Amino acid sequence: MTHEEMSELYELYALGVLEPVERAEIDQHIADGCKSCTAAVKRASVTNAIVMSFAADAEPPKRLKRRILAAIGVESRNLSWLVWAGASAALLVGLLWFSVESRQKSEELAAARAVLDIVNSPETRAVSFGAGPHGNVFVNPSSGVLLIATNLPKLEPGKTFEMWVIPKGGAPRPAGLFKTDANGKASHVLPGAIDLSTTGAVAVTVEPDAGSQAPTSTPIIVAPLAGS
Amino acid sequence: MIRWFILTAVLPALAALLKHQDDGDLVDRLKRRDPQALSELYDRYGRLTYSVILRVVHNEGVAEDLVQETFLRIWNRAAAFDQTRGALGPWILTVARNRAIDYLRSVEGRASESIFQIDKLEHPALFCDLESGILNLDRVRVVQAAMSKLNANQRMVIELAYFEGLSQTEMSERLKQPLGTVKSWVRGALKTLRDEIGEAVVVA
Repeated sequence: MTHEEMSELYELYALGVLEPVERAEIDQHIADGCKSCTAAVKRASVTNAIVMSFAADAEPPKRLKRRILAAIGVESRNLSWLVWAGASAALLVGLLWFSVESRQKSEELAAARAVLDIVNSPETRAVSFGAGPHGNVFVNPSSGVLLIATNLPKLEPGKTFEMWVIPKGGAPRPAGLFKTDANGKASHVLPGAIDLSTTGAVAVTVEPDAGSQAPTSTPIIVAPLAGS
Repeated sequence: MIRWFILTAVLPALAALLKHQDDGDLVDRLKRRDPQALSELYDRYGRLTYSVILRVVHNEGVAEDLVQETFLRIWNRAAAFDQTRGALGPWILTVARNRAIDYLRSVEGRASESIFQIDKLEHPALFCDLESGILNLDRVRVVQAAMSKLNANQRMVIELAYFEGLSQTEMSERLKQPLGTVKSWVRGALKTLRDEIGEAVVVA
Protein backbone atom coordinates (compact mmCIF):
# COMPACT_ATOMS: atom_id res chain seq x y z
CA MET A 1 0.00 0.00 0.00
CA THR A 2 1.08 3.51 -0.62
CA HIS A 3 1.01 6.09 2.15
CA GLU A 4 -2.03 7.57 0.45
CA GLU A 5 -3.90 4.24 0.36
CA MET A 6 -3.18 3.64 4.03
CA SER A 7 -4.54 7.01 5.01
CA GLU A 8 -7.94 5.90 3.74
CA LEU A 9 -8.02 2.97 6.16
CA TYR A 10 -7.22 4.54 9.53
CA GLU A 11 -10.80 4.61 10.79
CA LEU A 12 -11.22 0.91 9.98
CA TYR A 13 -7.80 0.24 11.52
CA ALA A 14 -8.82 2.01 14.72
CA LEU A 15 -12.11 0.09 14.76
CA GLY A 16 -10.22 -3.19 14.48
CA VAL A 17 -12.12 -4.30 11.36
CA LEU A 18 -9.28 -4.38 8.82
CA GLU A 19 -8.19 -7.62 7.20
CA PRO A 20 -5.09 -9.02 8.94
CA VAL A 21 -2.83 -8.34 5.96
CA GLU A 22 -3.78 -4.66 5.72
CA ARG A 23 -3.56 -4.25 9.45
CA ALA A 24 -0.10 -5.78 9.60
CA GLU A 25 1.08 -3.39 6.92
CA ILE A 26 -0.16 -0.34 8.82
CA ASP A 27 1.28 -1.70 12.08
CA GLN A 28 4.65 -2.01 10.41
CA HIS A 29 4.41 1.47 8.88
CA ILE A 30 3.67 3.01 12.28
CA ALA A 31 6.35 0.93 13.97
CA ASP A 32 8.79 2.33 11.41
CA GLY A 33 8.07 5.71 12.93
CA CYS A 34 5.73 7.50 10.49
CA LYS A 35 4.74 10.54 12.56
CA SER A 36 1.92 11.70 10.33
CA CYS A 37 0.31 8.26 10.37
CA THR A 38 0.52 8.02 14.16
CA ALA A 39 -1.26 11.36 14.38
CA ALA A 40 -3.81 10.26 11.78
CA VAL A 41 -4.66 7.12 13.77
CA LYS A 42 -5.31 9.26 16.85
CA ARG A 43 -7.51 11.53 14.81
CA ALA A 44 -9.37 8.53 13.41
CA SER A 45 -9.89 7.13 16.92
CA VAL A 46 -11.53 10.34 18.07
CA THR A 47 -13.57 10.58 14.86
CA ASN A 48 -14.80 7.05 15.48
CA ALA A 49 -15.87 7.93 19.01
CA ILE A 50 -17.86 10.89 17.74
CA VAL A 51 -19.62 8.69 15.21
CA MET A 52 -20.39 6.12 17.91
CA SER A 53 -22.05 8.77 20.03
CA PHE A 54 -24.74 8.69 17.34
CA ALA A 55 -26.16 5.63 19.10
CA ALA A 56 -29.76 6.18 20.15
CA ASP A 57 -29.95 7.54 23.67
CA ALA A 58 -30.88 4.90 26.26
CA GLU A 59 -31.15 5.18 30.02
CA PRO A 60 -29.30 2.58 32.11
CA PRO A 61 -31.05 1.18 35.21
CA LYS A 62 -30.26 2.98 38.47
CA ARG A 63 -28.72 -0.13 40.02
CA LEU A 64 -25.89 -0.16 37.48
CA LYS A 65 -23.95 2.63 39.18
CA ARG A 66 -24.23 0.95 42.59
CA ARG A 67 -23.05 -2.28 41.02
CA ILE A 68 -19.98 -0.69 39.44
CA LEU A 69 -19.00 1.11 42.63
CA ALA A 70 -19.53 -2.05 44.67
CA ALA A 71 -17.15 -3.83 42.27
CA ILE A 72 -14.32 -1.53 43.39
CA GLY A 73 -15.33 -1.97 47.02
CA VAL A 74 -17.23 1.27 47.50
CA GLU A 75 -20.49 1.04 49.39
CA SER A 76 -23.39 3.27 48.59
CA ARG A 77 -23.19 6.74 50.10
CA ASN A 78 -26.50 6.02 51.81
CA LEU A 79 -24.78 4.23 54.63
CA SER A 80 -27.76 4.00 56.96
CA TRP A 81 -29.71 2.18 54.26
CA LEU A 82 -26.90 -0.33 53.96
CA VAL A 83 -26.64 -0.83 57.70
CA TRP A 84 -30.35 -1.55 57.82
CA ALA A 85 -30.18 -3.87 54.85
CA GLY A 86 -27.18 -5.72 56.24
CA ALA A 87 -28.75 -6.03 59.66
CA SER A 88 -32.01 -7.23 58.19
CA ALA A 89 -30.29 -9.85 56.05
CA ALA A 90 -28.32 -11.15 59.03
CA LEU A 91 -31.40 -11.16 61.20
CA LEU A 92 -33.42 -12.91 58.56
CA VAL A 93 -30.92 -15.72 58.36
CA GLY A 94 -30.73 -15.99 62.13
CA LEU A 95 -34.45 -15.88 62.52
CA LEU A 96 -35.13 -18.49 59.87
CA TRP A 97 -32.54 -20.80 61.37
CA PHE A 98 -33.92 -20.30 64.83
CA SER A 99 -37.47 -20.80 63.68
CA VAL A 100 -36.97 -24.17 62.08
CA GLU A 101 -37.20 -26.07 65.35
CA SER A 102 -40.38 -24.66 66.70
CA ARG A 103 -42.49 -22.97 64.06
CA GLN A 104 -44.64 -23.75 61.07
CA LYS A 105 -43.50 -22.67 57.62
CA SER A 106 -46.14 -19.97 57.21
CA GLU A 107 -45.31 -18.51 60.59
CA GLU A 108 -41.64 -18.40 59.66
CA LEU A 109 -42.40 -16.52 56.52
CA ALA A 110 -44.68 -14.08 58.29
CA ALA A 111 -42.05 -13.53 60.94
CA ALA A 112 -39.31 -13.07 58.37
CA ARG A 113 -41.45 -10.57 56.54
CA ALA A 114 -42.14 -8.76 59.78
CA VAL A 115 -38.42 -8.58 60.55
CA LEU A 116 -37.73 -7.02 57.19
CA ASP A 117 -40.59 -4.58 57.61
CA ILE A 118 -39.44 -3.60 61.05
CA VAL A 119 -35.76 -3.22 60.26
CA ASN A 120 -36.18 -1.48 56.93
CA SER A 121 -38.70 1.10 58.00
CA PRO A 122 -37.66 4.67 58.82
CA GLU A 123 -40.54 4.71 61.36
CA THR A 124 -38.76 2.15 63.51
CA ARG A 125 -37.47 3.16 66.91
CA ALA A 126 -34.38 1.29 68.12
CA VAL A 127 -33.57 0.92 71.81
CA SER A 128 -30.50 -0.80 73.18
CA PHE A 129 -30.48 -2.44 76.57
CA GLY A 130 -28.53 -4.36 79.14
CA ALA A 131 -25.07 -5.06 80.48
CA GLY A 132 -25.36 -8.79 81.17
CA PRO A 133 -27.91 -9.90 78.61
CA HIS A 134 -27.73 -7.09 76.08
CA GLY A 135 -28.99 -6.19 72.64
CA ASN A 136 -31.59 -4.13 70.84
CA VAL A 137 -35.31 -3.79 70.61
CA PHE A 138 -36.78 -2.44 67.39
CA VAL A 139 -40.33 -1.20 67.55
CA ASN A 140 -42.33 -0.26 64.49
CA PRO A 141 -45.86 1.15 64.84
CA SER A 142 -47.30 -0.87 61.97
CA SER A 143 -45.05 -3.96 61.83
CA GLY A 144 -44.35 -4.93 65.43
CA VAL A 145 -41.50 -5.55 67.83
CA LEU A 146 -38.16 -7.21 67.12
CA LEU A 147 -35.85 -8.27 69.92
CA ILE A 148 -32.21 -9.24 69.40
CA ALA A 149 -30.33 -10.32 72.48
CA THR A 150 -26.96 -11.85 73.27
CA ASN A 151 -25.39 -13.24 76.44
CA LEU A 152 -28.69 -14.65 77.66
CA PRO A 153 -28.44 -17.11 80.59
CA LYS A 154 -28.64 -20.83 80.02
CA LEU A 155 -32.17 -22.06 80.64
CA GLU A 156 -32.94 -24.86 83.09
CA PRO A 157 -34.88 -27.77 81.58
CA GLY A 158 -38.60 -27.01 81.28
CA LYS A 159 -38.06 -23.25 81.05
CA THR A 160 -38.35 -20.75 78.23
CA PHE A 161 -37.86 -17.05 77.63
CA GLU A 162 -40.98 -14.97 77.26
CA MET A 163 -41.15 -11.44 75.87
CA TRP A 164 -43.58 -8.87 77.25
CA VAL A 165 -44.91 -5.63 75.93
CA ILE A 166 -45.65 -3.35 78.87
CA PRO A 167 -48.21 -0.57 78.33
CA LYS A 168 -47.68 2.66 80.26
CA GLY A 169 -49.27 2.15 83.64
CA GLY A 170 -50.66 -1.24 82.61
CA ALA A 171 -50.00 -4.93 83.10
CA PRO A 172 -47.42 -6.71 80.87
CA ARG A 173 -48.95 -8.42 77.84
CA PRO A 174 -47.49 -11.75 76.61
CA ALA A 175 -45.44 -11.18 73.45
CA GLY A 176 -44.25 -14.67 72.58
CA LEU A 177 -41.85 -17.41 73.67
CA PHE A 178 -38.31 -17.97 72.43
CA LYS A 179 -35.10 -19.84 73.17
CA THR A 180 -31.45 -19.09 72.51
CA ASP A 181 -28.94 -20.75 70.28
CA ALA A 182 -25.98 -22.60 71.80
CA ASN A 183 -24.13 -19.30 72.28
CA GLY A 184 -26.84 -17.57 74.26
CA LYS A 185 -28.09 -15.49 71.33
CA ALA A 186 -31.69 -15.04 70.30
CA SER A 187 -33.94 -13.02 68.06
CA HIS A 188 -37.65 -12.86 68.51
CA VAL A 189 -40.38 -10.98 66.71
CA LEU A 190 -43.91 -9.99 67.65
CA PRO A 191 -45.65 -9.12 64.39
CA GLY A 192 -48.54 -6.69 64.29
CA ALA A 193 -49.35 -3.04 64.91
CA ILE A 194 -48.27 -1.48 68.17
CA ASP A 195 -49.08 1.94 69.60
CA LEU A 196 -45.79 3.59 70.52
CA SER A 197 -47.47 6.36 72.46
CA THR A 198 -49.07 3.97 74.96
CA THR A 199 -46.20 1.47 75.19
CA GLY A 200 -43.74 1.96 78.04
CA ALA A 201 -41.27 -0.89 77.70
CA VAL A 202 -40.39 -4.28 76.30
CA ALA A 203 -39.21 -6.92 78.79
CA VAL A 204 -38.09 -10.55 78.95
CA THR A 205 -38.55 -13.06 81.78
CA VAL A 206 -37.84 -16.76 82.25
CA GLU A 207 -41.10 -18.74 82.36
CA PRO A 208 -42.28 -22.36 82.44
CA ASP A 209 -42.12 -24.07 79.04
CA ALA A 210 -45.78 -23.45 78.21
CA GLY A 211 -45.43 -19.74 78.83
CA SER A 212 -47.36 -17.53 81.21
CA GLN A 213 -50.17 -15.00 80.94
CA ALA A 214 -48.38 -12.76 83.47
CA PRO A 215 -44.68 -12.69 84.44
CA THR A 216 -43.75 -15.15 87.21
CA SER A 217 -40.12 -14.03 87.62
CA THR A 218 -37.99 -10.89 87.72
CA PRO A 219 -37.25 -9.58 84.20
CA ILE A 220 -33.74 -10.27 82.90
CA ILE A 221 -34.23 -7.61 80.20
CA VAL A 222 -36.11 -4.33 80.42
CA ALA A 223 -35.98 -1.95 77.47
CA PRO A 224 -37.86 1.28 78.19
CA LEU A 225 -39.03 3.05 75.01
CA ALA A 226 -37.47 6.42 75.73
CA GLY A 227 -39.58 9.44 74.86
CA SER A 228 -42.76 7.46 74.50
CA MET B 1 -31.10 -6.48 10.05
CA ILE B 2 -29.82 -3.01 9.41
CA ARG B 3 -30.64 -0.22 11.81
CA TRP B 4 -30.28 3.24 10.48
CA PHE B 5 -28.83 6.19 12.25
CA ILE B 6 -31.50 8.36 13.69
CA LEU B 7 -30.21 11.86 13.24
CA THR B 8 -32.62 13.30 15.75
CA ALA B 9 -31.07 11.10 18.43
CA VAL B 10 -27.68 12.69 17.94
CA LEU B 11 -27.95 15.72 20.15
CA PRO B 12 -28.42 14.22 23.62
CA ALA B 13 -25.62 11.72 23.12
CA LEU B 14 -23.15 14.20 21.77
CA ALA B 15 -24.12 16.68 24.41
CA ALA B 16 -22.77 14.23 26.97
CA LEU B 17 -19.43 14.18 25.19
CA LEU B 18 -19.33 17.93 24.86
CA LYS B 19 -20.52 18.86 28.31
CA HIS B 20 -17.39 17.64 29.98
CA GLN B 21 -14.44 18.83 28.02
CA ASP B 22 -12.74 19.69 31.24
CA ASP B 23 -12.09 16.22 32.59
CA GLY B 24 -8.53 17.00 33.73
CA ASP B 25 -9.28 17.14 37.44
CA LEU B 26 -11.39 14.00 37.21
CA VAL B 27 -8.61 12.09 35.44
CA ASP B 28 -6.15 13.27 38.05
CA ARG B 29 -8.32 11.81 40.81
CA LEU B 30 -8.91 8.60 38.85
CA LYS B 31 -5.16 8.17 38.57
CA ARG B 32 -4.94 8.49 42.34
CA ARG B 33 -7.68 5.86 42.58
CA ASP B 34 -10.16 8.10 44.34
CA PRO B 35 -13.38 6.04 44.36
CA GLN B 36 -15.52 9.18 44.29
CA ALA B 37 -13.92 9.98 40.92
CA LEU B 38 -15.28 6.75 39.46
CA SER B 39 -18.71 7.73 40.72
CA GLU B 40 -18.44 11.09 38.95
CA LEU B 41 -17.06 9.45 35.83
CA TYR B 42 -20.14 7.26 35.72
CA ASP B 43 -22.39 10.29 36.18
CA ARG B 44 -20.73 11.93 33.18
CA TYR B 45 -20.37 9.02 30.80
CA GLY B 46 -22.48 6.13 32.13
CA ARG B 47 -25.54 6.91 30.05
CA LEU B 48 -23.61 7.46 26.83
CA THR B 49 -21.57 4.30 27.42
CA TYR B 50 -24.72 2.29 28.04
CA SER B 51 -26.34 3.74 24.90
CA VAL B 52 -23.40 2.78 22.68
CA ILE B 53 -23.13 -0.73 24.11
CA LEU B 54 -26.87 -1.37 23.97
CA ARG B 55 -26.84 -0.26 20.34
CA VAL B 56 -24.33 -3.02 19.59
CA VAL B 57 -25.61 -5.91 21.72
CA HIS B 58 -29.38 -5.19 21.79
CA ASN B 59 -29.74 -6.85 25.18
CA GLU B 60 -30.14 -4.79 28.34
CA GLY B 61 -28.72 -7.36 30.75
CA VAL B 62 -25.64 -7.94 28.61
CA ALA B 63 -25.24 -4.18 28.17
CA GLU B 64 -25.17 -3.71 31.95
CA ASP B 65 -22.43 -6.32 32.33
CA LEU B 66 -20.36 -4.72 29.58
CA VAL B 67 -20.78 -1.19 30.96
CA GLN B 68 -19.44 -2.49 34.26
CA GLU B 69 -16.52 -4.13 32.48
CA THR B 70 -15.84 -0.88 30.64
CA PHE B 71 -15.73 1.28 33.76
CA LEU B 72 -13.58 -1.21 35.64
CA ARG B 73 -11.16 -1.26 32.73
CA ILE B 74 -10.99 2.53 32.72
CA TRP B 75 -10.52 2.49 36.50
CA ASN B 76 -7.65 0.02 36.22
CA ARG B 77 -5.91 1.73 33.34
CA ALA B 78 -6.40 5.41 34.16
CA ALA B 79 -2.82 5.65 35.43
CA ALA B 80 -1.59 5.65 31.83
CA PHE B 81 -3.89 8.49 30.79
CA ASP B 82 -2.58 12.02 30.31
CA GLN B 83 -4.99 14.25 32.17
CA THR B 84 -4.02 17.52 30.56
CA ARG B 85 -4.42 16.78 26.90
CA GLY B 86 -6.45 13.61 26.78
CA ALA B 87 -9.93 13.03 25.43
CA LEU B 88 -11.53 10.95 28.17
CA GLY B 89 -14.95 10.57 26.55
CA PRO B 90 -13.64 9.14 23.26
CA TRP B 91 -11.38 6.77 25.19
CA ILE B 92 -14.29 5.43 27.25
CA LEU B 93 -16.48 5.02 24.16
CA THR B 94 -13.69 3.15 22.38
CA VAL B 95 -13.26 0.77 25.31
CA ALA B 96 -17.05 0.35 25.48
CA ARG B 97 -17.37 -0.43 21.80
CA ASN B 98 -14.53 -2.93 21.90
CA ARG B 99 -16.19 -4.79 24.79
CA ALA B 100 -19.50 -4.84 22.92
CA ILE B 101 -18.07 -5.90 19.55
CA ASP B 102 -15.99 -8.58 21.24
CA TYR B 103 -19.18 -9.93 22.83
CA LEU B 104 -21.07 -9.78 19.52
CA ARG B 105 -18.31 -11.63 17.71
CA SER B 106 -18.19 -14.35 20.34
CA VAL B 107 -21.96 -15.02 20.27
CA GLU B 108 -22.02 -14.94 16.48
CA GLY B 109 -19.09 -17.35 16.32
CA ARG B 110 -16.86 -14.86 14.54
CA ALA B 111 -13.15 -14.73 15.26
CA SER B 112 -12.27 -12.39 18.11
CA GLU B 113 -9.58 -9.78 17.99
CA SER B 114 -6.51 -10.80 19.97
CA ILE B 115 -6.12 -9.28 23.42
CA PHE B 116 -2.89 -7.73 22.22
CA GLN B 117 -4.67 -6.08 19.31
CA ILE B 118 -7.56 -4.77 21.42
CA ASP B 119 -5.11 -3.35 23.95
CA LYS B 120 -3.43 -1.45 21.17
CA LEU B 121 -6.70 -0.01 19.81
CA GLU B 122 -7.77 1.35 23.16
CA HIS B 123 -4.41 2.29 24.59
CA PRO B 124 -4.73 5.49 26.64
CA ALA B 125 -1.88 7.07 24.69
CA LEU B 126 -4.05 7.02 21.55
CA PHE B 127 -6.40 9.50 23.22
CA CYS B 128 -3.75 11.77 24.66
CA ASP B 129 -1.70 14.63 23.26
CA LEU B 130 -4.72 16.01 21.51
CA GLU B 131 -5.70 19.62 21.47
CA SER B 132 -7.86 20.45 24.47
CA GLY B 133 -10.84 21.68 22.50
CA ILE B 134 -11.01 18.52 20.46
CA LEU B 135 -14.69 18.17 21.12
CA ASN B 136 -16.54 21.40 20.72
CA LEU B 137 -20.04 22.54 20.00
CA ASP B 138 -19.30 23.32 16.36
CA ARG B 139 -18.62 19.66 15.83
CA VAL B 140 -22.21 18.75 16.68
CA ARG B 141 -23.30 20.49 13.52
CA VAL B 142 -20.30 19.13 11.64
CA VAL B 143 -21.19 15.57 12.59
CA GLN B 144 -24.83 16.03 11.72
CA ALA B 145 -23.87 17.54 8.40
CA ALA B 146 -21.44 14.74 7.65
CA MET B 147 -23.93 12.01 8.46
CA SER B 148 -26.66 13.62 6.42
CA LYS B 149 -24.35 13.69 3.39
CA LEU B 150 -24.00 9.91 3.34
CA ASN B 151 -26.23 7.99 0.98
CA ALA B 152 -28.14 4.88 2.07
CA ASN B 153 -25.40 2.42 1.11
CA GLN B 154 -22.74 4.49 2.80
CA ARG B 155 -24.76 4.71 6.01
CA MET B 156 -25.30 0.97 5.90
CA VAL B 157 -21.60 0.10 5.71
CA ILE B 158 -20.73 2.64 8.41
CA GLU B 159 -23.35 1.03 10.60
CA LEU B 160 -21.89 -2.43 9.94
CA ALA B 161 -18.33 -1.35 10.67
CA TYR B 162 -19.03 0.73 13.79
CA PHE B 163 -21.89 -1.11 15.48
CA GLU B 164 -21.45 -4.66 14.24
CA GLY B 165 -17.68 -4.78 13.85
CA LEU B 166 -17.73 -6.28 10.36
CA SER B 167 -14.69 -6.21 8.08
CA GLN B 168 -15.24 -5.26 4.45
CA THR B 169 -15.07 -8.93 3.45
CA GLU B 170 -17.71 -9.80 6.05
CA MET B 171 -19.89 -6.92 4.81
CA SER B 172 -19.61 -8.19 1.27
CA GLU B 173 -20.83 -11.61 2.41
CA ARG B 174 -23.60 -10.20 4.58
CA LEU B 175 -24.87 -7.81 1.90
CA LYS B 176 -24.22 -10.21 -0.99
CA GLN B 177 -22.38 -7.48 -2.84
CA PRO B 178 -19.01 -7.67 -4.60
CA LEU B 179 -16.09 -6.75 -2.32
CA GLY B 180 -15.11 -3.95 -4.69
CA THR B 181 -18.56 -2.37 -4.40
CA VAL B 182 -18.50 -2.54 -0.61
CA LYS B 183 -15.03 -1.04 -0.53
CA SER B 184 -16.11 1.91 -2.64
CA TRP B 185 -19.08 2.57 -0.34
CA VAL B 186 -16.80 2.42 2.69
CA ARG B 187 -14.17 4.63 1.08
CA GLY B 188 -16.75 7.24 0.11
CA ALA B 189 -18.40 7.24 3.54
CA LEU B 190 -15.13 7.51 5.44
CA LYS B 191 -13.88 10.27 3.18
CA THR B 192 -16.98 12.30 3.91
CA LEU B 193 -16.66 11.70 7.67
CA ARG B 194 -12.94 12.39 7.61
CA ASP B 195 -13.28 15.56 5.59
CA GLU B 196 -16.07 16.90 7.75
CA ILE B 197 -15.04 15.66 11.18
CA GLY B 198 -11.47 14.46 11.06
CA GLU B 199 -9.90 17.62 9.74
CA ALA B 200 -11.37 19.51 12.64
CA VAL B 201 -9.66 17.12 15.06
CA VAL B 202 -6.27 18.68 15.52
CA VAL B 203 -3.53 16.43 16.73
CA ALA B 204 -0.72 18.12 18.60
